[in-house]
Amino acid sequence: MTDLTGVSQLLNKVSDDPVLRTALDRAISSYWKKRKQVMERYPYVKELADEVRRIKEWSIDHMDELLDKAIEAVEAKGGKAYIAETAEEARKIVGELVGTGKVVTKAKSMTTEELKLREFLIERGNEVYETDLGEFLVQFLGPKPMHFISPSIHLTREKVAEFLKDFMGVEVDKDDVEGMVALVRKFLRDKYFSADVGISGANAFAADRGAVFLIENESNIRLSISLPPKHIAVVGMEKIVPTMSDAWKVVEVISRYGGYKVTSYINTVMGPARSGEGDIGPEEYHVIFLDNGRREASKDPILKQTLYCLRCGACQYLCPVFGIVGGYWAGLESAYSGGIGVMWEYITGDKETSTQHAFACLLCGRCIEACPMRINQPEVLREIRRRLMERI
Amino acid sequence: MDLKAVKLLLEKNAKKTWNPLGVKEEYCSMWAEGMNFPERGEVLLYTGCLYQMIPYIDMFARLLKGFESMNPALFGIAMKIKALADSLGLDTISLLASLEISKKDRERYFRIVRSIANALLSAGVKFAYMREEPYSGVLYHDLGMDDLFREHVMRLAKKIKETGARKVITIDPHTTYMLNYLIKEFVDDFEVEVVHYMDVLLERGYTPKVRGPKEVVIHDPCYLARWNGVIDQPRVLLSRAGVKVREPEFTRKFTGCCGGPIESLFPSLSSKLARKRMEELKETGSPCFTVMCPICLTNFQREARELGVRVFDIMEVIE
Repeated sequence: MTDLTGVSQLLNKVSDDPVLRTALDRAISSYWKKRKQVMERYPYVKELADEVRRIKEWSIDHMDELLDKAIEAVEAKGGKAYIAETAEEARKIVGELVGTGKVVTKAKSMTTEELKLREFLIERGNEVYETDLGEFLVQFLGPKPMHFISPSIHLTREKVAEFLKDFMGVEVDKDDVEGMVALVRKFLRDKYFSADVGISGANAFAADRGAVFLIENESNIRLSISLPPKHIAVVGMEKIVPTMSDAWKVVEVISRYGGYKVTSYINTVMGPARSGEGDIGPEEYHVIFLDNGRREASKDPILKQTLYCLRCGACQYLCPVFGIVGGYWAGLESAYSGGIGVMWEYITGDKETSTQHAFACLLCGRCIEACPMRINQPEVLREIRRRLMERI
Repeated sequence: MDLKAVKLLLEKNAKKTWNPLGVKEEYCSMWAEGMNFPERGEVLLYTGCLYQMIPYIDMFARLLKGFESMNPALFGIAMKIKALADSLGLDTISLLASLEISKKDRERYFRIVRSIANALLSAGVKFAYMREEPYSGVLYHDLGMDDLFREHVMRLAKKIKETGARKVITIDPHTTYMLNYLIKEFVDDFEVEVVHYMDVLLERGYTPKVRGPKEVVIHDPCYLARWNGVIDQPRVLLSRAGVKVREPEFTRKFTGCCGGPIESLFPSLSSKLARKRMEELKETGSPCFTVMCPICLTNFQREARELGVRVFDIMEVIE
């Protein structure tokens, strides 16, 4: 528990990997450039972020109340709502809804990664496909999603081309990124039509209308959740905000701080298709609200700020430690990465490992500048250290 | 590195010397010999000993890196830790003392502190200085050792109070932040004004002279720029002295960390972070870096030769 050798060896080893370094350098410099452009083009977004911070603060303080409203709204529209207190409970609910021998298309979602849901469903005899290009690569190349919005940040286009060549059995040009995207798209296209279930997370959830908000760039989410007859949304309880208008603000801030001048698609799903009204879409809409440590964290004066996290990935891009070790920081077993990943893991997963990883933070505070919510990661990570140091 | 061993080591050293590396308080004040500062006064210069400790930090960092790079298969981790705790925990003082910091090693850092004191004097600031100056305790806080930190800063607050000071001038970012913010969470009646020496110099309209290179690339220390908001001050001082300043891509509030803060637990990672940042600085085209923090100074300094650059404290560039 107190021996940091394992963490130190892991981080040292990966920081010497030239492919990882190249991939991170490219991604980070591209993000930084885009971020500056976005901030220049949408100067109001800083104020919007402040407003979202207030919305999140209120929402986390009223989590139980919002949860009741959200459940009511989902069921009023003919959807089904569930509360999962633990990861195991969530997997059980999804497992029963999916069954076995089914085809499942998945939208990229960190919360389902937290549940190791894909692995769980595959183990139960289902065919599961990640439909986000980055996440698709992670599904086959591993080792885990390495960044909140850019899960394959650790892979260079050269590596990807190599993989696709083998996987699809065709020639691939490493400089033709569009071509590679098209290949994966073509492969997944068939899967959408044969899928029995579509699974998504949520970028935000509006309690007043029971609506899931999903941001995407590849239109894969739209296809994954509207073509199959069943849509299951796994929603971390911290994602719930009071109104549709609040949720719109949240998604704008996420995409701007994620470095997008224009996000291609924002989906809102409010319920199953209504029969006889010509609606298309899934007949079943299931929303699982996941606790898994969140309610407890919402009552902790210091840890609580973790729940304001929008998972835009800005802090990961701009963290110096992340810049040389990428998503290995927080450990390979954690779905989460970086300093913020350590915090999420501490709340939702393995407290011991995340505590060890907390010692790798520089406390330099660049994450606070990067973060639209100005989450004080050094404060939280130091607190996690303190909790260990005072009892050893 | 084992946290239990680190905790034990720090506690043992603190008990003996009130210093994490076993550095004695009379050593911290040695730079001021012959300068005849009063021990009491309205204004106190408090260095926090961080610049003076650089040779010790440096030696310690090299030692730790050696431990870290040992083959664990040949040398059980537990053994490493035990050896570390035994040799350093029990005997840091005698070990480091036996290696002895050479006069030349420490003189550079003493000179930086003297240079700050002299600039303040030239600007007409009168101040007191403690004959046996305590360390700031900030490392204990960083590691989450709050009990030790509390004990340490309560003593420090008392010592500062004894000097009769109402205003404390600090010289490094970590000590400044500690006295400005952290100490208040642990000590109830700490009501002195804390001000960084650059603010004092600017307030007095001080115009420094060039002492080092005429052109430098500036590296904002994290704790100075982000946590204390001291960003324009060094630029104004440099420009008043006629020094040309180059800005790296990541600068001011978005400055990059030197890697120093994790040096005691992840020494190799720390030096890789230093190199990464130094490469960013080098891209500006200037091989002369200026920093304003003893931690940045020592962490960069260790990599400087291999990268073909020179690292200066701001008070080595100007005076």
